[in-house]
Amino acid sequence: MNYVLSIVTLAGINMIAVLGLSIFTGFTGLFSFGHAALVGIGAYASAILTYYYFVPFPIALVAGMAASALVSLVIGIPTLRARLRSDYFAIAILGFGEALRVILENLEITNGARGLPGIEPFTTLPIVAGCLAVSVWVASNFLRSRYGAACIAVREDPVAAEMAGINLFRTRLLSLVVSAAFCGLSGGLLAHFLSFIQPVMFTLVQSTALLAAVIAGGMGSISGPLIASFIFIAMPEALRVAQMWRLVAYGLVLVLIMLFRPQGLMGYQELTTFFRRSGHERRSA
Amino acid sequence: MSAALLEVRGLTKAFGGIRAVDDLSFSVAPDAITGIIGPNGAGKTTVFNLVTGVYRPDAGSIDFEGRSLLGIRPDQIVGAGIARTFQNIRLFNRRTCLENVLTPLLQKAPYSVPAALLRTPGVRRMDRELREKSRFLLAEMGLEKLADVQASALPYGLQRKLEIARALAMEPRLLLLDEPAAGMNPEESRALSALIEEIRERFNLTILLIEHHMDVVMRVCSHIVVMNFGALLAEGPPEKVRTDERVLQAYLGKEYRNA
Amino acid sequence: MFLQTVVTGLSIGGIYALMAVGYSLVFSVLSFSNFAHGAVIMLGAYIGLGLVTKLHFGLGLVVSGAMAGAGLIAIVNEKLAYSLLRKRKAPSLYLMISAMGCAVFLENMVYATIGSRFYAFPEFFKQSVLCLFNGTCNIALLDLFAFGISILAILGLHLFLIHTRTGIAIRAGVSDMTMCSLMGVNLDRLISIVFFLAGIFGGAAGVFLGIKYLVYPTMGWVTNKAYIAAVIGGLGSLPGALLGGLILGVLETFVSTYVSSVMRDVFSFGLLIALLVWRPNGLFGRDTGEKV
Repeated sequence: MNYVLSIVTLAGINMIAVLGLSIFTGFTGLFSFGHAALVGIGAYASAILTYYYFVPFPIALVAGMAASALVSLVIGIPTLRARLRSDYFAIAILGFGEALRVILENLEITNGARGLPGIEPFTTLPIVAGCLAVSVWVASNFLRSRYGAACIAVREDPVAAEMAGINLFRTRLLSLVVSAAFCGLSGGLLAHFLSFIQPVMFTLVQSTALLAAVIAGGMGSISGPLIASFIFIAMPEALRVAQMWRLVAYGLVLVLIMLFRPQGLMGYQELTTFFRRSGHERRSA
Repeated sequence: MSAALLEVRGLTKAFGGIRAVDDLSFSVAPDAITGIIGPNGAGKTTVFNLVTGVYRPDAGSIDFEGRSLLGIRPDQIVGAGIARTFQNIRLFNRRTCLENVLTPLLQKAPYSVPAALLRTPGVRRMDRELREKSRFLLAEMGLEKLADVQASALPYGLQRKLEIARALAMEPRLLLLDEPAAGMNPEESRALSALIEEIRERFNLTILLIEHHMDVVMRVCSHIVVMNFGALLAEGPPEKVRTDERVLQAYLGKEYRNA
Repeated sequence: MFLQTVVTGLSIGGIYALMAVGYSLVFSVLSFSNFAHGAVIMLGAYIGLGLVTKLHFGLGLVVSGAMAGAGLIAIVNEKLAYSLLRKRKAPSLYLMISAMGCAVFLENMVYATIGSRFYAFPEFFKQSVLCLFNGTCNIALLDLFAFGISILAILGLHLFLIHTRTGIAIRAGVSDMTMCSLMGVNLDRLISIVFFLAGIFGGAAGVFLGIKYLVYPTMGWVTNKAYIAAVIGGLGSLPGALLGGLILGVLETFVSTYVSSVMRDVFSFGLLIALLVWRPNGLFGRDTGEKV
């Protein structure tokens, strides 16, 4: 029972990060294969605060979110400018992932490649559930607001978006910072759940898993990626599949979905859409 | 004589070796409907792109209401009071008609990010008001029943109308329409001509219009600018342009002499 | 020490240049970042390894074999993962995701089947080291060979692009794909050739990397350096990719020698960010705008 609970907790923590990436990729249409690094920033920042400085857990979590958000600015400001192609950001965040791993492995305070053990296990299932619920609420508010509408417009047609009064650069940057904050929260919760973090836990492997959940769940949907994320975590655990096969599957999933069903499971729709009856139902092409 | 709303002087833009716009000068009088015509590749859409800040001119000036538009970002130009539609229709395809019109309206709502994240009562109120306003604009275009239909599901003609509705949401002083009658049959273009005149009246607009459908141009425009190879070929009221030798030679062909 | 650093930098720079040119070629023709390039490089290394350990080929055959193999893999990669999207005019986001999916898939397939063991190539040059300038500078024969091949290959590509019909068609495609096809060029075939070329460059780079260091499933991520090199030279420019690769190699080695070898990757990332702040078009980049 304990085991099932811990899987559910892990899934919940993962879902928060997936939610973050969903805002950036699913709703703003920007490519990122490095959001796990932003999770890592949140994890290490919050862990260092509680471990070395005995900062209270909630404050450490917020600090982790702030750290991720700030770091994302460093990557985002040079690379998300309106006239620059999305390839620049993609390359930059790939490079960042590598650079971060190197930095984490070589700092005293992070205990290097060996990792940081003995982190207080403050994270519990109720806390994760609460954070997830708040995250979904906040994300939904964001997406319904003028800022969310701007993100989606940028995804649909950046040229038309500009001519609708939307500042491309600021919109992309805001999307990145918000997604980074979610990832930072996820990282902080993760560090205080596993009680141990290592640089190698926040690399391309994890970024792949995050993106796979967003794509499989469906771009432009909140519920889709959350469901996919849960399945991705819960299923392999149930089948005890080795990590490398999991990744083979993720890679294949990404390619196949792009080729044959780019909208994924719930593309551009929510779970609630299916419960709506006639009248104001959205009719798709 | 009132000052021009939009004043273009010596405008030049080259791509590689090709001069898309070549030392072009013209003005758009306020409250009028001005047309830009010319053969394909004459540089008409490039002019729109220059005015709206998508491209930066190599030389020349663009003044709107007396202020220079040079070096200003497209989204700021929208804020200054200029809106446009696109030759190839650029809607937010996966959003509903309502959301398409709502998006630019929302950008004017002055609430902050934290307020948005918490969806304060103020945010909710503004959202409601702007949705109402969007429905009103959709109704103006006769699209109110399609509010919750995805934009990409609309037939071509209605998509064009939706694009115009979205442009009107920006409360422009100057509306740039890029080939709004493209792909329409004569009956549809007649309806479009009427619509253009109607919205000009109802929303107190100045309209600058690129068109190939001569019936629309001749009917609604009070002033026409003719371009060829990026340069100004002729300019004047429809009757004058219609009979201008150079224009006929370059573009209209013999049929229109007798129209 | 200074000269030695430059020489070492150039040798790794040559390999970066090979990778960057392959990536830039595809980017300039298709306006798309093929992030699966690293996987192709990695597979090239493994093919080379297989050729030498199982079939006992000599260096020349190993390199050629790896190049050919990687080239073919690149063609298959394009046909399976990208051509459908390209025909559908899918947004570049989809192409990038598909590319990454391939990279992850291939890397982990190798991991799962061949294993995570690090393999070393057998000695080809019997540890011959050239001493220049009265012993102040040591160049491994391998580095010389790799650098030479890199330069030759890139020069060969240059001649190919200028003097052959296919090369000219590729250059035309860079300017305008649609026009190209309207002129009667078989686009599918052209694109396959472009990928094949990128593949053979990748294969060579893979083998050289494998010989210089080791062969392992995640070695493909060294392409991050290639992407950075391509940005330095200007995305889409082939001479830029060459120069960018060499410059990055040399600068990195300087950092490695004089500051700290660990900071090498941090430096490359920092350089990328600094470059994007001040000069996003790099050395020779073109400003490709979208038609509005």
